[in-house]
Amino acid sequence: MSQQGSKMSKRNDGAALEVLTLRLDGHLFALEAGHVREILDLGPVTEVPSAAPFVNGLINVRGKVVPLADLRLKFGMEKTSATIDTRVIVIEIDLAGDQTTIGLLADKVFEVTEIVPAEIEETPRIGMIWRQEYISCVGKRGDDFIIVLDIAAIFASALRDRKGDTRSKRNAA
Amino acid sequence: MAKTILTVDDSASMRQMIRMTLAGAGYEVTEAIDGTQGLATARGKAFDMVLTDLNMPGMDGVSMIKEIRKLSTYTGVPIVLLTTESDAEKKAQAKTAGATGWITKPFQPEQLLSVTKKVLGQ
Amino acid sequence: MKAADPKEIFQQEAQDLLVQLEQALLDLEHAPADGALIDTAFRALHTIKGSGSMFGFEAVAAFTHHVETAFDKVRQGAIAPNRELIMITLHARDHMRQLIENPEAADSSAGQAILAELQRIMEAGAAPVAATPAGPASYRVRIAFPRDVMATGTNPLLLLDELRGLGRATVAALTDDVPTLDVIDPTACHVGWEVMLSTAQPPTAIEDVFLFVRDEMTLEIEPIRDTTPETPLGEILSQRGDVTSQAVEAALHEQKRVGELLVEAGAVSPDKVNAALAEQQHLRRDGAPKPSANSSVRVPAERLGELMDQVGELVIAQSRLRQIATVSADQQVKSVAEEIERLVLELRDTTMSIRMVPIGALFGRFRRVVHDLSRDLGKEVALTMEGEETELDKTVIEQLNDPLVHLIRNAIDHGLEDPAGRAAAGKPQLGHIKLAARHAGMEVLISIQDDGRGMNRERIRARAEERGLLAKGAAVSDGELLQMIFQPGFSTAAQVTSLSGRGVGMDVVKRTIEGLRGAIDLQSTPGHGSEVTLRLPLTLAIIDGLLVRVGNGRYVLPLGAVEECVELSAQEDARSRGRSFLNIRGDLVPYLRLRELFACQTPADPYQKVVIVSSGDLKVGLVVDQVIGDHQTVIKSLSKLHADVEMLSGATILGDGAVALILDIPHLVEFGQVREENQRAAG
Repeated sequence: MSQQGSKMSKRNDGAALEVLTLRLDGHLFALEAGHVREILDLGPVTEVPSAAPFVNGLINVRGKVVPLADLRLKFGMEKTSATIDTRVIVIEIDLAGDQTTIGLLADKVFEVTEIVPAEIEETPRIGMIWRQEYISCVGKRGDDFIIVLDIAAIFASALRDRKGDTRSKRNAA
Repeated sequence: MAKTILTVDDSASMRQMIRMTLAGAGYEVTEAIDGTQGLATARGKAFDMVLTDLNMPGMDGVSMIKEIRKLSTYTGVPIVLLTTESDAEKKAQAKTAGATGWITKPFQPEQLLSVTKKVLGQ
Repeated sequence: MKAADPKEIFQQEAQDLLVQLEQALLDLEHAPADGALIDTAFRALHTIKGSGSMFGFEAVAAFTHHVETAFDKVRQGAIAPNRELIMITLHARDHMRQLIENPEAADSSAGQAILAELQRIMEAGAAPVAATPAGPASYRVRIAFPRDVMATGTNPLLLLDELRGLGRATVAALTDDVPTLDVIDPTACHVGWEVMLSTAQPPTAIEDVFLFVRDEMTLEIEPIRDTTPETPLGEILSQRGDVTSQAVEAALHEQKRVGELLVEAGAVSPDKVNAALAEQQHLRRDGAPKPSANSSVRVPAERLGELMDQVGELVIAQSRLRQIATVSADQQVKSVAEEIERLVLELRDTTMSIRMVPIGALFGRFRRVVHDLSRDLGKEVALTMEGEETELDKTVIEQLNDPLVHLIRNAIDHGLEDPAGRAAAGKPQLGHIKLAARHAGMEVLISIQDDGRGMNRERIRARAEERGLLAKGAAVSDGELLQMIFQPGFSTAAQVTSLSGRGVGMDVVKRTIEGLRGAIDLQSTPGHGSEVTLRLPLTLAIIDGLLVRVGNGRYVLPLGAVEECVELSAQEDARSRGRSFLNIRGDLVPYLRLRELFACQTPADPYQKVVIVSSGDLKVGLVVDQVIGDHQTVIKSLSKLHADVEMLSGATILGDGAVALILDIPHLVEFGQVREENQRAAG
């Protein structure tokens, strides 16, 4: 269990937060709308050998080769097969200095909505099964928690893990 | 592999000067003091080039060249004469006998090297 | 479209001129009487001065004016270009460059000092030297030896080499008199020669070459006056007196080449035609304008990038069109699609070639580096270059400059011994550095070779252990030990010289080369020298690929690396995962099952195919389910999330819109070899 004090939510500048809400394995998540470029249906996916499992696919987005990430694997959820609701959210983030386009799988995409400061709560220390660094803040709407993901942090850490993996692989060889 | 040169001259100082010049440039030098010794040495080993004086006691340069040319191992091997100005006729004789080229005495070490390079290549 | 800034145009043109000036000065050191070089230097100075004032670069115009005045005196023969003069002019050139690139930052007192020194040197040396007339003259040299010329030790080939040493020569052998094998005497000389020679030396120099055999041979030396690069072959033959002009006329009325016709008609011998052709060729190169003059165009790099992207998109679209046309029944559509494919291929090749630049431009810069280093370190160094015409992608060349400069510095500073050391080792005082470049399969190899002391394994080992890079007594191969020098902070130089830096260089060099997806090989013989070889992929954005299927995935192999495709026989296939080898015409080639490598779950195709690929001298067979066919591949690079997968060098989009992965051949070959060694070691 993490020893850190309860983390202040990363967004406390008083402005409303525009997010895209989506569902992953029954849970309600959200992404900052500023990162989202488009939403597509799921098409053919090419598997990348030796890639990290959560981002081991490539898709064609209008002539561009884009990595496809399955956040469910990052959060330790079960991987389920696609349904008619499955969508790919195409985002653009800064990854180690490069503007990178990435596709994210979602079981269902809901809408672009605003979370006002009143709805934002501190990320609870207890009861969170996911790493705090992946989470930007938590919004409460009625009885539901909307977990706003810090997508840049998720991929930055993925890149770091990867570097560590290859280094240890080389030393072991 | 260094190229091998047979030097034939009855003057010790000349032989020494030639040896120092050629060996310093990386050639392997063997000496003979007159025509007879020169011919015997040439018979014993196939040199890459022969350098010889014309005027020597016993067997002179022209006769030695004639004999060396009879050896099958020396077909096509350059033979260079050291000759003085007044030896114009000897020079013509030597050419008839089968010499490849000549150097006129007195000569600078550089001239010796440039003629050697000319007939041996590289 | 943005209008070009005239200041920028001047700056770019001035850069070219500065390069020319530097090369001319460096050459002048070895050939001080060469009028052509002095002219080149003077013209460069004159142009920079003139254009400089026109485009508002007053400082450089004023400065250059003085240098030009000095060089005018050299041109008139009032002073010989000695070493001092050339050095100060090189310094002046560097100052001029500053004044052009960054006028505000230029140090005017430094400029004044240079001019003062120039003045002093001009006054000191006033020995006039008769510069040989600018521009070489061309001669026709006809050579015929007596049959027995070789018996007396004359080697005609050595004489031809001597001729070549006088200038630019084109040699035509005259073989008409060579008898058939059954009657030929191998010790006799049946061949004559005609040499077209362009030389600044007088004709007596040509005669001197044949000094020893002049009396026995036929030697004709004729200046070439009446033919030019544009003179047609028939006319050359007639000018040389080998045929009548009527014979030429008659031959031209038919469709075949005039040379062939004249020979067929018996009007001239084949030898004479060959010799005339040689003359034509020689003259063409004689008069050929320097490429930089008026036959090239400057294009901003981004516009080229846009063009490349557009061609890339066109290639993808064409590949979709091809798919549609293949299944279409419409003949017209099929025929147009084929036409478009042909045109797109040509367009692709032309666009690709625009980005390719010969490495000679880069090598040329290093002459100055070697020259200055040689002087600063007190070591005599000769620089030879090979393969300057080898072409590389423009962006790659630009990134190679720093690594190569560092490697050259290293070779001269640490590789070559100082004069005392060389004498002690029995080596000539003149050290040698050789820069070479060549294409090998899908790679470009650039090597720097020196004949110095070689790499000291004990010192490297000691240093590696000291830095904790290697456990004491741990076993490493020689290659791995040498590669330790690329670790950050590594430097075995007893005193770190300011020139080569604190060992921060080598690891940066390696990183830069790896950033270009290349590798560095090291070879070294203690006491004899070392060789550093950079291996770079020919990363063209569009390549010809071979499309294969492994399981459900499709992959592309660069066609240039593919040697052949064979079938994996059923018995080979059924064998256990032991030592997998194929016997290809006596060669044992290891093979990799890509199905295993990619962890395919789907059932395998009954007849597996093996694609043999090569990287350098090594080969490996890649076992796939199906070889689909060739595919024009637009290379899309992988994002940082996948950039570390070494087996892949990129991705591409197929005609049906699916993504296919491009396999990195050198890594697969290496992987195959390593696995092979491990298996062998495991017994």
